Amino acid sequence: MKRMLGIVALILIFATTSFAAEMGVARTNTGCGLGTMLFEGSANDSSLLQAFQATTNGTSGAQTFGITSGTSECTQPKKFVQNERLNEFVYANLDTLAKDIAQGRGESVQTLAELMQVAPEKREAFYRNLQTHFAEIFPRENVEYAQVVDTIVQLSS
Amino acid sequence: MLRKLAYPLFFLLLFPPLQGAAETTPYRDELKESATRLRLPDDRYWHVLLHYKRGLFGTESLVDDRKFFLSPDGKHDPSAELDAAIDGLFADGEEEQTIPRCRFPARYDWLIRRLTVDLTKLPEVSCPTLEKQRQRIDAKSASLIFASGHMNAPASMFGHTFLRFDSSYESPLLSYAVNYAAQIDRRDNGLVYAVKGIFGLYPGYFSILPYYDKVKEYGNMDQRDLWEYRLNLTEEEVQRMVLHVLELQGLYSDYFFFKENCSYDLLFVLEIGAPTATLTDRFRRFTIPIDTVKAVRAEGLISDPVFRPSQARKIRHIASSMDEADIGRARSVLDNTVAPREILAVDIPGAAKGAILDLASEAVQLRYAEGQYTKEEYLRRFLTVLSARSTIPAAESVLTPIPAPGQPESGHESSRVALAVGIREESPFLEVSGRPAYHDLLDADDGFTPGSQIEFSRATVRYYPDSGRFRLQEWDLVHILSLAGRDDFFRPVSWKFRTGFATKPFPGGSDALVFFLNPGGGMAWDIRPLGLAHVLLETEVNVAGRYRPDYTAGVGLSAGILRQMSRSWKILLEARQIFGVLGDEKRGREFSAVLRQGISLDRHHALFVDVGRTVSPGLHYNEAKFSWNIYF
Repeated sequence: MKRMLGIVALILIFATTSFAAEMGVARTNTGCGLGTMLFEGSANDSSLLQAFQATTNGTSGAQTFGITSGTSECTQPKKFVQNERLNEFVYANLDTLAKDIAQGRGESVQTLAELMQVAPEKREAFYRNLQTHFAEIFPRENVEYAQVVDTIVQLSS
Repeated sequence: MLRKLAYPLFFLLLFPPLQGAAETTPYRDELKESATRLRLPDDRYWHVLLHYKRGLFGTESLVDDRKFFLSPDGKHDPSAELDAAIDGLFADGEEEQTIPRCRFPARYDWLIRRLTVDLTKLPEVSCPTLEKQRQRIDAKSASLIFASGHMNAPASMFGHTFLRFDSSYESPLLSYAVNYAAQIDRRDNGLVYAVKGIFGLYPGYFSILPYYDKVKEYGNMDQRDLWEYRLNLTEEEVQRMVLHVLELQGLYSDYFFFKENCSYDLLFVLEIGAPTATLTDRFRRFTIPIDTVKAVRAEGLISDPVFRPSQARKIRHIASSMDEADIGRARSVLDNTVAPREILAVDIPGAAKGAILDLASEAVQLRYAEGQYTKEEYLRRFLTVLSARSTIPAAESVLTPIPAPGQPESGHESSRVALAVGIREESPFLEVSGRPAYHDLLDADDGFTPGSQIEFSRATVRYYPDSGRFRLQEWDLVHILSLAGRDDFFRPVSWKFRTGFATKPFPGGSDALVFFLNPGGGMAWDIRPLGLAHVLLETEVNVAGRYRPDYTAGVGLSAGILRQMSRSWKILLEARQIFGVLGDEKRGREFSAVLRQGISLDRHHALFVDVGRTVSPGLHYNEAKFSWNIYF
């Protein structure tokens, strides 16, 4: 009996430690609002296979020359916001922007200021303005990027 | 004269006559003659442009996609390809992708310069798509980006490199990143994956994506730090690199895990920008990403990097500035026992409130990435934390800069040889040991992931002068160890995998070479001031004719503490007990305890001192060893 237990333990441990293929939570969220970051594998996976994957730096799916990225499946910002780079940036960085706007600083709001051509001397005020109006920029959980752009443009004009 | 006639005839046979062929032919011949006179087929730049390398079977391009070559013999014949390229000068067409000058802009940029081609004698072509892409990329300078190892996947600690074309925007996030990677098939399992990766069965492609996407991918999802090295190149040189990347668009090269990998193919692009640098030729069998950074540095192309910490490092940094009570508050927000708004009412400074909510929002993102929250739950939590956070003015919570670890290119070299003297019981011995790659747990950590080890093919031979015995002491084919500390926010698994051959003593004074396979898994905690404590469940299989029957298989436990005593001094104390459960159960039983110390002297030298005791039925011995390690 003791021997059997030992063998079972051996097989179990061997199997889980050497061949455990805990592949990451592969999910590809698409959408136009918050929480639509692309996930392929998560940070805490650990197995030999994961190790191999990380080394090969493989990517799956079509290879991308993503020089212009698509925001086409989303509602577009109002007509007066015809700034393609701004739209793409907000679309792709909505969660980070929310974080930086709430803190009133950060690289993503700096980038936003540059894309909106806010003069350097007016940027501190721009960040403060966005921070105090956080609740208007992100009024609900399912707010879409186009609305975020519209609100930000409205607030800073 | 005869030769002059032969060419047009040849082309008439191959191609239908082009319009205006009669006028362009003399000029074409003139260009071909000057190309021969200038010996352009042998020009180094031509070989860089076409990725030609001299191999076992003569010169060959490492690009495997037929579409990359204008001549059917282009893959093997630089001269034929150059000839075809000159013909291509005279081609025009309706579709941009079929016009050689639009499809291979870097090639033609060079050819036109070297042959001082009179463009008025060529058909007029326009490449609107190419121009649009160039304008969008808007490259002014370029940076080499190094992504450090994954905190918990030691094989990824080889790192990864990619390029960034820095635009006229101030924010680097808006620049474009160029990445070379294997296109894998997600349906492949790990073994197929490894085999295909090693033997070049995956195609490798270049991709261009906004840098903010790469920052999200590496910094936020994979928790890898990024190091950004600005390249000392002029705008013109950088533009040539852009053209070369664009001409590689959609064309594959076979991807080889060890040599022709993510970092190697990038070196060709760098050589396009810096033609006097020797980069690709430095790597013959293995291309370790960090070694390419060192090579680029040795060529004087980069200086000190900018450090971009991963989200994990940010989280740990915020936590390290907080006291226990505040970390507890952040945890309560995460556990939903305290609403984010309630933090605002606590009687603590604004900076502390800010830190609590920042820690909470980062942790909420992390848990979402780990799949612990549904999207709805994530959004609800994320926005309530942020809306509370937005009421604390930025001026009240000053951010301290995140300290950067040692620069990756300043770490020890990956190959190591060691000379050792030691004693086992009464017998002194001499030892020589070597490994091609990469990092031992006791090697200095600068530029590597602390608590990790990955060694390939470390071989040790030992000589006992007393008895004249000469032994292959150990040959570790693979020895990987990942000890990652668990805390409030990260719950990684620690694990090991070791396989190879070792000479093991048997009762009665004899010994035998044994094949072993030893995986294990467990947990580790960073206990201050003790060090990184770990416990692993292990299994071990040994195979040798000396066992009765021929093998032994066992299970057991190992536990130890790894402590960084100073920047250059590390201590590992470890005990391990294995019980035989299958095969030669008695011989499978083994207890061992070791105390290892590593003292790094500089980038190239380190001293190790190991003492240990091993006990198995009918056998026990003590061993001490002093080794001198040289990294190269």
